Amino acid sequence: MKYFKYILLAVVGLFISSCGDEFLNPLPDSAIVTDAFFASDDEVLAGIIGVYDAIQGVNENTNTSLVSSNRGIQFEYMISEMRTDNTRTATLEGSKADFHRYRVEPNNIQSEDYYESMYSVIFRANNILNFIEVADPANQSRYAAEAKFLRAFAYFKLVRLYADVPLATDVVLPDDNETLFTRVAVARIYEQIVSDLQEAVDNLDNTYKSRASKAGAQGLLAKVYLSQPSPNYSAAEQLCLAIVTSGDFSLEENFTDVFYNELNDEILFAIQYEAGNTLESQSFSSEFTATFRQGREDGHNIVNDNLIAAFNEYGGNRTDQSFFDTGTWNEVIKFLPLGSDITTTPPTYGSSPRDAGNDWIVLRYADVLLMHAEAILAGGNETTSSAAIDSYMAVRMRAGFDASDRPSVLTKDRLLVERRVELAFENQRFYDLLRFGVADAVISAHAEEMGYTSYDSRKLLLPIPSREINLSAGLLTQNPGY
Amino acid sequence: MTNINNFRKIAMYCMCICGIGFLVSCESMFEFDLPESNSKVDTVLPTADFSFIPDAGDFKTIMFSDLSFESTQYLWDFGNGNTTTERDPVFTFPSEGTYSVKLTVSDNNGASDEITKEIKVEDLFVAITPEIINGDFSDGQNDWKFSSFTNGTTSPYNSSSDGSWLNYDGTDNGSKTAGAKWTMSTSAGAYKSSNTRYAYQAIVVSPNTDYILEYEYAIKNDGTQAPDDNRIIGGIIDGHFDDGADAVPSFDGGSLLSFVGDEDLGKTVFTKVELPFTANASGEVAILIYGVTDVDAYVDNVKVYPKE
Repeated sequence: MKYFKYILLAVVGLFISSCGDEFLNPLPDSAIVTDAFFASDDEVLAGIIGVYDAIQGVNENTNTSLVSSNRGIQFEYMISEMRTDNTRTATLEGSKADFHRYRVEPNNIQSEDYYESMYSVIFRANNILNFIEVADPANQSRYAAEAKFLRAFAYFKLVRLYADVPLATDVVLPDDNETLFTRVAVARIYEQIVSDLQEAVDNLDNTYKSRASKAGAQGLLAKVYLSQPSPNYSAAEQLCLAIVTSGDFSLEENFTDVFYNELNDEILFAIQYEAGNTLESQSFSSEFTATFRQGREDGHNIVNDNLIAAFNEYGGNRTDQSFFDTGTWNEVIKFLPLGSDITTTPPTYGSSPRDAGNDWIVLRYADVLLMHAEAILAGGNETTSSAAIDSYMAVRMRAGFDASDRPSVLTKDRLLVERRVELAFENQRFYDLLRFGVADAVISAHAEEMGYTSYDSRKLLLPIPSREINLSAGLLTQNPGY
Repeated sequence: MTNINNFRKIAMYCMCICGIGFLVSCESMFEFDLPESNSKVDTVLPTADFSFIPDAGDFKTIMFSDLSFESTQYLWDFGNGNTTTERDPVFTFPSEGTYSVKLTVSDNNGASDEITKEIKVEDLFVAITPEIINGDFSDGQNDWKFSSFTNGTTSPYNSSSDGSWLNYDGTDNGSKTAGAKWTMSTSAGAYKSSNTRYAYQAIVVSPNTDYILEYEYAIKNDGTQAPDDNRIIGGIIDGHFDDGADAVPSFDGGSLLSFVGDEDLGKTVFTKVELPFTANASGEVAILIYGVTDVDAYVDNVKVYPKE
């Protein structure tokens, strides 16, 4: 075992020199960034921007290797949209087609990539905190708050998808297997997330939308309070109210503008991409095409009939602005590549659909309004609170519903379906179902309807990637059912 | 025939010889191998665990999910001789209460593990507590008016400063609070006219659920009695109405609750009543309060809340 460390270091060294990337994630990530230290305020800031790069991920069209590139959140729709009743994939081939049928295996490359991407975010954030003294004293608390916001963002994703996960809050050396591979209880992970986000709320302002902000942290923390094992509804309500009363945000009048007028008044936090730039673009916009295929791999996020039925009843004018029927498939149109025109037959998708620049919206004001109503509902089945119904109606009226449609009682089911049609294809559905306590009921009914026989309640958790388990020398345990 | 029989015999002999050959060769092949050699002891043994969640439609029906490791067989014991070998069973308990559920899991080597959990079967339904707007009458006549009243008045009562000494939250105000007042000229009953005043407020409650209507009333005792006594009538109408001319006959013809209070203890000496009713199937009901009185009568602090 003594030699193992040297062998490991040699292997790590090899990768630094040969591909300089993240093959043995999460090990080399922390090892590499520890070596690369920051010597000035500018370098710490550059390091923070580097954390956003890890969330942004590498476009599949720019580097096709799934082994040497992390996709950041570019694969997230598979994990949290296709794994619900909202969407599916056109084919049955390949590991990307395993999500909608609940057949994800521990060696699934996309799930593994997502896990690694989130740890990449965490390790980079931890490294910033390690060098925080290098920054200008005036900037230190802000930089630390931003790093903690990003770390909380990643842990919040991980804890809901994989449950107990290793918790690293400091730079981890490559031989510290105990930190890297000991699963820590969900409640403890949430404690860390809450404390990190609280620091972000206290130390950030609303200067940025494409970087961490006070409002972004408030909104994320509200969702954390609603999601944690023992929800804190009153704290969530206060946070949503603080965002509402700040006056910094409002609903876009026109639903389409939310997606095509980037960083608009409704956005609290978005991950930016740049069209045509191979290093800063994303692949998912092209992957949502199915009939007139634009992607390297496409036919993903096809809209299920079940969702279309919900749109027809509750969608209002959002229906025609969320998906369209090509005659063959119903395809997502919230993230059409720059220059697309779907009014022509066949539709056109601009000059570089594979290097799409559509931002990924993490949090927007409509989500906050609906969370406000959810916090007042406080786990109950219905509420007559006029504040809750006001927030709910603000979102509905933007979708073209009349004020006279105002219900006297807001039920949990109505709020859930409103979130479904408002936030469809924005990777919210899976987490909504979990929070509302109906994930198993809704998905098992959906799986039965679609004939996805692999589903059982254990599939609500993704498997811990087998590569991590193999690297852990028996420390890391698997989730039940895998 | 003989040829065929011969053939069969020969075939049988051949098969016997072959069979013996196989037996012999097998024996010789494994002659020096112990049965256990090259097989490893299974050190990864089953561990039992499960989760459960009540069905959304029926809290007594519990859906169980196996969360065990390294196991292939499952035995669930729900008590009272109810068992199953399904992996993810659904079981309906007879009534509310706490039950012990045991899951025993085993692998194909016969190794096993078990876990017992206490399952609390309870109705977590939380009934709506409707917000009675201006329930303390501090905001004049607001929120107690019919939107229209054919051949009548939408004015609900006289705003009065002679209400209860209690605030809406039950604390002592130290002096009178605002209240609602009825007089002979605004009375119903024998005095019913186009000037009769009714306090009306539509509310939404949980369907088919038991509720309490609570309010305080006081009747002066210094004057004459109206025919059939001075009284304050309070109750719950089955449904929402826009026009008072539709609501009052509905109330008279059959309501969810109608109570006649005739304690005439004097001005500002209030009697609190807590009146049970069961909501209708839609949950859309309305409060109706009015007086039949020769003398001044008062109402204050109107509340509706779930029973218990």
